[in-house]
Amino acid sequence: MRPLDPRLLRQARAARSYVLLTTALGAASAALVVVQAFAIAHALAPVVVATSPGLDGPVDRAELVRWSAVLAGAAVGRALVAWAQERFGRGAATRVVADLRRQVVAHAVALGPRPPAGARPADVATLATRGLGDLEPYLVRFLPQLLLTALVTPATVLVVLGLDWISALVAAVTLPLVPFFMWLIGTMTAGTSERRLATVERLGSQVLDLVAGLPTLRAFGREVGPAARVRALGESSRRATMKTLRVAFLSGAVLELLTTLCVAVIAVGVGLRLVHGGVELVPALAVLVLAPEIFLPLRRVGAEFHASSDGLAATARAFGVLDSPVAPAGDRQPPRPVGGELVLDDVTVRAPGRHVDAPAHLSARITLGTGEPGGGRVVALRGLSGAGKSTLVLLLLGLLRPDSGRVLLAPGPAQDAAQDLADVDATAWWEQVAWVPQRPAIGPGTVHDVVTDGRDVPPATLDAVARTTGLDAVLADLPDGWHTRVGLGGVGLSVGQRQRIALARTLVGATDRPVVVLDEPTAHLDARGEQVVLDTVRTWREAGRTVVVVAHRASLLALADQVVDVEAREVVGS
Amino acid sequence: MTDPLRQLLPLLEIRWGRVARAVTLGTLTLVCAIGLAAAAAWLVARASQMPPVLVLSVAAVGVRAFGTGRAFFRYLERLASHDVALRGMAALRANLYDRIARGGADVVALRRGDLLARVGNDVDDVGDVVVRALIPGAVAVVTGIGSVVLVGVFLPPAGLVLLAGLLLTGVVSPWLASRASASVEVRGAAARGEVSARTLELLEDGQQLRVAGRLADRRAGLAAAEDRLAAATDDGARVAGVSAGLEAGAQTLAVLGCLLLGVPAALAGDLAATELAVVVLTPLAVFEVTAALPAAAVQLRRSRAAARRLLELLSSSDAPARPGPDGPQTRAGASGRLVLDGVAAGWGGPAGTSVVEGVDLAVGPGSVVALAGASGVGKTTLLVTAAGLLAPAEGEVHGPGLFVAEDGHVFGTTVLENLRVARADVDEREAREALAAVGLADWLDGLPDGLGTLLGTGGSDVSGGERRRLLIARALLAPHSVLLVDEPAEHLDARTADALVETLAKIARTSGRAVVVASHRLAPLGAADEVLLLGHDDADPAGVPARVVARGTHAELLRDVPAYRWAATQELTSGGAGPGSA
Repeated sequence: MRPLDPRLLRQARAARSYVLLTTALGAASAALVVVQAFAIAHALAPVVVATSPGLDGPVDRAELVRWSAVLAGAAVGRALVAWAQERFGRGAATRVVADLRRQVVAHAVALGPRPPAGARPADVATLATRGLGDLEPYLVRFLPQLLLTALVTPATVLVVLGLDWISALVAAVTLPLVPFFMWLIGTMTAGTSERRLATVERLGSQVLDLVAGLPTLRAFGREVGPAARVRALGESSRRATMKTLRVAFLSGAVLELLTTLCVAVIAVGVGLRLVHGGVELVPALAVLVLAPEIFLPLRRVGAEFHASSDGLAATARAFGVLDSPVAPAGDRQPPRPVGGELVLDDVTVRAPGRHVDAPAHLSARITLGTGEPGGGRVVALRGLSGAGKSTLVLLLLGLLRPDSGRVLLAPGPAQDAAQDLADVDATAWWEQVAWVPQRPAIGPGTVHDVVTDGRDVPPATLDAVARTTGLDAVLADLPDGWHTRVGLGGVGLSVGQRQRIALARTLVGATDRPVVVLDEPTAHLDARGEQVVLDTVRTWREAGRTVVVVAHRASLLALADQVVDVEAREVVGS
Repeated sequence: MTDPLRQLLPLLEIRWGRVARAVTLGTLTLVCAIGLAAAAAWLVARASQMPPVLVLSVAAVGVRAFGTGRAFFRYLERLASHDVALRGMAALRANLYDRIARGGADVVALRRGDLLARVGNDVDDVGDVVVRALIPGAVAVVTGIGSVVLVGVFLPPAGLVLLAGLLLTGVVSPWLASRASASVEVRGAAARGEVSARTLELLEDGQQLRVAGRLADRRAGLAAAEDRLAAATDDGARVAGVSAGLEAGAQTLAVLGCLLLGVPAALAGDLAATELAVVVLTPLAVFEVTAALPAAAVQLRRSRAAARRLLELLSSSDAPARPGPDGPQTRAGASGRLVLDGVAAGWGGPAGTSVVEGVDLAVGPGSVVALAGASGVGKTTLLVTAAGLLAPAEGEVHGPGLFVAEDGHVFGTTVLENLRVARADVDEREAREALAAVGLADWLDGLPDGLGTLLGTGGSDVSGGERRRLLIARALLAPHSVLLVDEPAEHLDARTADALVETLAKIARTSGRAVVVASHRLAPLGAADEVLLLGHDDADPAGVPARVVARGTHAELLRDVPAYRWAATQELTSGGAGPGSA
């Protein structure tokens, strides 16, 4: 796996500026490390020489003050760099995550109601809320250290090379050993540690399983017994984890051993060569200060390695969603669906994950309402569960394309003016259609705002609508009536209550949408609830609108002007 | 208020000997790190005086030994501290389970997946305090003081400078870091919640929002919530930036301070050249001592919050759920017989509001009573009260039965172990018989390992119908003679659902058990001896408890009660569209 996904830089603008900022700060910090080493060496060496017995060197006080000032400058500089990385880096990382989350969510919605595996709402929800959260530690902790490794390590090695080539050689030989040994230990232990990790997770989830089952255990009066089992599970979980850790910490230990030993070897080497005059004191001190800095970023990269794998996995999944292709959009202006026909021409959709076509080869001509009062139509879609009624609704809405066949909009008797829904500008088509799904989306806002949708509706009309749709009963139960806040952070609503609000909204607002689509409006309703739906459907018909309704119950079927039978068919030989 | 972490600490059953071992190993690690720097500084300074090489050999060996020892001790320290933490977590989990199980807690609330996961995370967080805060803190104090003494022995004022630097990075910087993370977490919590809620809304309702033309609007809402989250992060970053800046600058400043103090002392002859090198260069390594402390402070705060949540959970579970002797009663009755006498039930306990009231009911061996009524009318509440799991708000319950929840838990273990939840000594023959009685014989034959097949978490999946049957088979194996079965038909298609209720009635009669079954489907209730219809009068205002509005056999209710007849007819017509049509 690459340590930095290039797609992240291409796709997320915020990521580019973040990487740029971190690189600049990394370069500055490399420079400051070198400056600090030189300042310490130059300030310290003359004094050491001057005060050593048997040696005598001049101490240039002005020089000393100058190097001390440089050191103070380095202190301020390092503080500033660390401050800037934390101050701007974290915010930038949050923005990268936000940027990616927005894109993933928008793309997942644009993929339509039947997205490919990995882009289904549940998958994307996990990814967008928790998964992308893993990206933040990766960006905040791992990536800066990675960039520092790329900048500080070679820069310090080069500086050391200029000071004392033997020390540089020791460092240059050790550096490649670090990833080599980590890789070696990684491959040797990969299988075992993954297996043990799975054991640990299983043991952990068994404890949670027992806690989750407490109500059941208590009902049977057996809640006390498993306590011993929880303890035993905890003990074996600890033993399994310790086995994993013994191996997992090994690579960290090797990393640490190689790097500190290398620093020690450099220090001893420099010391011994000083005795023979092979190196001067100033470069020797500078090398001594610089040696640990060569390896510091590398050690931190090692420590944050797990953050990298989680973050990269989340990134890969995000791009898995973003790379799923969206069906090409049409651009034709749809005709107004009034007084013509909606034609289903041999329409077939393969049910996802099953060898079934639902609907299978469906042909029908749905007559539309005239748009004039009294000229409305009620069209019922009838069929067994799984026959493809809801799929047909998605086809009519243009949210889904048939696998074969066409859905045509024929505005008048002239057949040649018919337009394939696939070629039509979807947004323009949606402006003509109102859809009340099984679980309507409500809010956020007050009930009044939701129902009127920002329109200016006289209270008398609203009251009449509330009576027709049964919203009056819902309002009576809500704490603030029309002014109750619903949706995000508001009152939780049952499916029935949502449905009534959605019916009222479609009745009041959306009067300019000639086609109304209802999906299973009477499921789970009592007598009064059903009456409400029937009344509402009648009102729409009176107004001249076309009501397409998925119907199970006899009462709704009896109301229909036209019934379309939907059937599924098993696909043979595949 | 006392520190919640300290209150929770006994539950971790920490053995301080193990902690001391980890702290010692951690201290040795840092001693190696600081020793390496000090010895190297001495070596280089001494070498520059060009002494005989032999003089340097001890220092050279020391430097190499420190270089090797550090990795070695660090490895042992990490193992030791994680061992302490894992022991603590295991003990905490076991003690929590024990206290919750014994307490009368509202464990129903624990069911919710998020709460459960939170308890799991909270336990981990409290355990982490050992590895990430306590041990690093103790190590930092010991080695910090040690290095101040080391430098102070050579030059006391330099020791003070080092101490000041360590206080800056070890106290001020962690305090700021903890404050920053608290402000991000507290202020960002609302924004983060809104981001999640809006993300989920867009994903779940995205298609209808597209059709309704409201997608752009909601996406803007998400963007605004993201901006608020970023603003909260930015606020925290201001403080965190100061903390990081202090930490980075303090090291160099300490070196500078030691240099400025050490040079005059050396020139005055109070400090040898080698000692000067040690005094100036040691601080470069010393600050590793406090490097882990800002993260430790953040962890300490998180662990404390986690400990507080766990304590709340415990205190709620320690509260008695059952009423005292003066209150309404649940009494043991004659065996095999459940009697409800004027019972009112509600989740608020005796003082809270009831959802159902005035229920009289008597079920004897071999008889079946059904509770009917719309969803949410209070059938489940009444059953839970009849099981003695909830105190009645009024009236008395005699001979409470076994509550078989609609969503009873299928444990992530074998089929047999799942059945043994009812009774520890269920043998294979009994298990097979019980499964056969509920029509799961074929299902059992189809399982890869028969009764030994793993179910639930990580095991074979169980369909809705199989799960319901399994729960009933388990109830049949329990020693209880009164079974209270909640919605056996939920999530099943009509035909399967009705068959299951009829099976249940048949088993009750043949095995001489008393059964009360709650069902919102009416079609199978012909199998019951009596049906109680719970509901409201049309004239009732909202919030009035439900009552028994009609009772009799299924046939009588069909004949006499119009609402019952209507509801039953609806089931028939919708059933005509095929099984599982709802």
